[in-house]
Amino acid sequence: MEGAYDEIISDNPFFIQFKNEYSNLLQHCISQSWIICVPRIGSLNTRVFTVEDFCAHVLVPSDELPETHYSTLTEKQVTVANKVITLEVTKGLPLQSHILFEETFYTEDYIKYKVWCVETPLEPNTNVGDCAITKDYLLSINDCIDLLWTQAAGRQVLDQIELNVQQFLKKHSPLPIALAPLRDAISELYTQCLQSTLQNRRLREKCKVSKHLLENIKLSVECYMQHLLFDSLFKPICTICAYEDSHLNKKIRNMCDIQLRDLDIKKELYHAVPKAKQILSKIVTYNTVLEKVLCLKQALNAINKKDNSNNVVLLTADDLLPVFVFLLIKSSIPNWYSQLKYMKEFRFSEVGNGDCDESAFLITTLEAVIEHIQSGALAGPPNPESYYYESNLTEDNLNDNGQRKNSLTESISTCDTNSREETLEYVFDLIKANNSEQVQYLLEKNQRHLQSLQQNERSAVKFAENQDDDDDEDDDEEYETEIYQKLCHPLCSCKKCCSKISKNLLKTSPTVSSRDSHGLTPLHIASIHGKANIVEILIDMGAKINATDLNECTPLHYAASRGHQNALLLLLHSGASINQANIDKNTPLHLAVNNGHMNCIKALIYFAEHGRKNLKINCTNEHGNTPLHLAAKWGYEGIAKLLIENGAEPSLQNHNNKTAFDYAHNLKILQVLKLSTPNLYEYIHITSTEVKTLNCKTDNPVTLKLQSLKTRNNETNNVTKTVENLKRLERIFQAISYGDVKLACFYMNIKYENYANTNITTDRLSCHPLCECQLCKKTHQTISDYDINFADSNGLTALHYAARYGLDELCKILLLNNANINSSNRKGQTPLHLAALNNKIMVIRFLLDNGANINAIDLSGNTPLHDACEVGNIGATKMLLNYNPNLNMINGSEKSAIEVAKEKLHLTIIDLIEKHTNKIK
Amino acid sequence: MSSAPSGTHNFKVVLLGEGCVGKTSILLRYIEDKFNDKHLTTLQATFLNKKLNINGKRINLSIWDTAGQEKFHALGPIYYRNSNGAILVYDITDEDSFGKVKNWVKELKKMLGSDIVLVIAGNKVDLEHERTVPLEEAESYAKMVGAKHFYTSAKLNQGVEELFLELTREMVERFEQNSQTEVNRTSRVLVVEDEAPTQSSCCSGSRSN
Repeated sequence: MEGAYDEIISDNPFFIQFKNEYSNLLQHCISQSWIICVPRIGSLNTRVFTVEDFCAHVLVPSDELPETHYSTLTEKQVTVANKVITLEVTKGLPLQSHILFEETFYTEDYIKYKVWCVETPLEPNTNVGDCAITKDYLLSINDCIDLLWTQAAGRQVLDQIELNVQQFLKKHSPLPIALAPLRDAISELYTQCLQSTLQNRRLREKCKVSKHLLENIKLSVECYMQHLLFDSLFKPICTICAYEDSHLNKKIRNMCDIQLRDLDIKKELYHAVPKAKQILSKIVTYNTVLEKVLCLKQALNAINKKDNSNNVVLLTADDLLPVFVFLLIKSSIPNWYSQLKYMKEFRFSEVGNGDCDESAFLITTLEAVIEHIQSGALAGPPNPESYYYESNLTEDNLNDNGQRKNSLTESISTCDTNSREETLEYVFDLIKANNSEQVQYLLEKNQRHLQSLQQNERSAVKFAENQDDDDDEDDDEEYETEIYQKLCHPLCSCKKCCSKISKNLLKTSPTVSSRDSHGLTPLHIASIHGKANIVEILIDMGAKINATDLNECTPLHYAASRGHQNALLLLLHSGASINQANIDKNTPLHLAVNNGHMNCIKALIYFAEHGRKNLKINCTNEHGNTPLHLAAKWGYEGIAKLLIENGAEPSLQNHNNKTAFDYAHNLKILQVLKLSTPNLYEYIHITSTEVKTLNCKTDNPVTLKLQSLKTRNNETNNVTKTVENLKRLERIFQAISYGDVKLACFYMNIKYENYANTNITTDRLSCHPLCECQLCKKTHQTISDYDINFADSNGLTALHYAARYGLDELCKILLLNNANINSSNRKGQTPLHLAALNNKIMVIRFLLDNGANINAIDLSGNTPLHDACEVGNIGATKMLLNYNPNLNMINGSEKSAIEVAKEKLHLTIIDLIEKHTNKIK
Repeated sequence: MSSAPSGTHNFKVVLLGEGCVGKTSILLRYIEDKFNDKHLTTLQATFLNKKLNINGKRINLSIWDTAGQEKFHALGPIYYRNSNGAILVYDITDEDSFGKVKNWVKELKKMLGSDIVLVIAGNKVDLEHERTVPLEEAESYAKMVGAKHFYTSAKLNQGVEELFLELTREMVERFEQNSQTEVNRTSRVLVVEDEAPTQSSCCSGSRSN
């Protein structure tokens, strides 16, 4: 594993001296296959050793327990357990030393002897050299940061790496969307980071002494770099791997009901699977390759543990692969391929070692597993139903599977109650074998039998009343005679005849509406296996179209989830309910999307369109996910596109407050989602929290409306209106920033001319609420379809912008159109704040004249006066003071306005405020 | 193939062979005399590292166990790429497993040329009385493809040590040869082509699975 201790033993002074000066002793040790311990370089501060020193480091295996018990040549008893040597000493605690690694030496005549590199000398009272070695393994990003921090004695190295990464991101924005250039760019950055790290003199000196440290430093630098870079780096990787990921996801989704036994996994390993699954699912939470690989290793170790009866379960590759396949399928991580590529291609510190460490092995294992799933070898024959068929088998009927298949072709002669022909399973098997004629024959026969039984009851009564009345039973003539001929007499009640009749009553022949233990009807089975002709037959025979099984799934659910378009269409045309939810509140559309069956989604949409059915495209399942959430999560680009074209709304939140945008893990999907909101690049960055704050502005009528719209999911029109408003807002803001009032008014559908020539007195808005004078009329005239108080994702309204850019004319117009003068943006700032910040004196006066709250506070507790003092806007301060603000208000850092000014040394302002206070007094 | 600046050779070795021929047992036997059974809990039986020092040359062996079941056959290339050596294991009591070895040899030669050092191991010699793979056939085949042949018994600890030692020596030799001159590959490739027709029937049989 990475970071394990290593040194060249032949260069160790202890070993060199042993070899050169006591070669006879060494030869003897070799011939006796005694183990030689070598204290790691640097653990001994002396360079002169006596013969006792060497003897103390030769371990002679004991006769009884040669594996664990040894004695040194100095007659000390030594035990070895779990890579730790324990040396008994005469007084005090036993001495312990870790075995860092073992190296097997061969002499020129290929005689083998073993050398253990130990952490500390095996002698009491020796002066231990330098401080203990650095951590043996780097296990997390924290270890890496720790190492860089302590070894460089401060955070300058970390800062340097941060700086490098920032510069890199500035320079390479956006990052290339192809693996080779991306990898090369990052590799260059890594070299840069390493260079700047080793410029630290302290580190350089230390690394010169210890190669081990150098390796660890390299690894740490890589980790820290990846840690900083991950967010910007992983998206492009996902985008590069988008195609592979979505294909893998489709394969995995369609296998998601696979069971352990289907994969030939050893029974002893079953118990370890949940734990391993839990560990492996954490892989997405790690940012660095080191941690991701470690996560793989831990998952593997979890499988590798002892079983219930405490026996060691040894995993061979044959056992390991199926377990990993299972874990991958069940993990519900949508970007395994990207994870693999990241781990494989962005490990720079190990490049020199080729494929020779355990990390490489683990990554290769993951690659092999993905390849195995991709290859389709798992699904067996190409048609999915055969796979389902296999996976449905329990262990008990696994054996008679072959025999049963054979029996399908044989004609069955006997007809007793327990005959195979009479079981539902047999009918199911016939359906799976696509034997439509036989199915039809059997079910029809049983149906007739059932009908006749019912009629028998009735006729038996009739019989007694009216013996001649036979005409009614013409239909069942054949069957009647069949039974009654067997009886001694039609009315006989002897033992034999009674049992014959009761046998008939006890018959449990399957019919078209029979169900198995899972509540599956023949129609379900036919839909699962996509046998369109049988589906047709069953429907004709009156099968219940919307019958639900244990999971409340209808045949339509199965046809959709298995991707059987023909069966799906047949069911739809026969009146299957298109929006039926199963136990998880999944509609057939959900299932089809989840499993990536484009053909079925198209069929559903097409049918709904032409059959004038209302397909709920934004329907939510138990977790609040719409089909679009699923498509985004699994990276089905084409499907997402199709859904959006048909009115799916990407901004809907699920129960975790996540939108489809949040689930999209690559740019391609994002691009598709963006389709619904053309030209609005900003919208993409709106995360769910921002959507929420948008919704929370209850004083804002449009967002209120928007909120109520969101609950009514189907009204896509209204949502797109919001989007249009956002687009328009963007244009308005642009116009304002140019200072073009006319253009801004045009965008807002306000007639600028109406206001251009009028001399509005600044101290009143209209003469009277009901005034009908020319001026007031004009004000109310303009009924804009654009809401003046509409705010963008930062909570900025047009008035905010007008205030910021000092357009007092526009402010007037906006206020005349009922703009909210005290609306606050996301930071809690009112337009007055912005005017104060930007020293727009005219606007300040206008706003204050029209009722703006002079003591309004933003989220950090600042009043407009605080802001003006902070920035040092003399004019703004003067103007604000004219309107008697509360000078004693303190902001979030408990400072009044004058204190802020003092802090910033704005002398004029301090003077102004002091004068004002004196005046008041 | 790869070498750290310090002169330590890093070699990757894959174990190939049909399931149940004892690949894992050989691997465990080789490593086992390092630590006793109790330590096996912490060992991965699928990946093991061993440091060797032969005549002052440091070698770091990474030994990869591979899946032997037929359904995983297609994953072979993922495992054996970049490897310096391959140990092809068969069971001397199972003729099919020897056929599988021949397949592997062909595939390896085709994909990796002569970059890879091959060693063939006839395992389970403790079951000598049940032998079905003729001794001469195995040895002559190994000679033909330029591989060393060993008889091993993981159970009795026979030949395992020798097998790995020989493989390592050969890999070091090959590495040094490679770094000095271009190897003459043609002769080795030709050997494969010579024996290809005789193997065709058995290959096609297993490929179709």
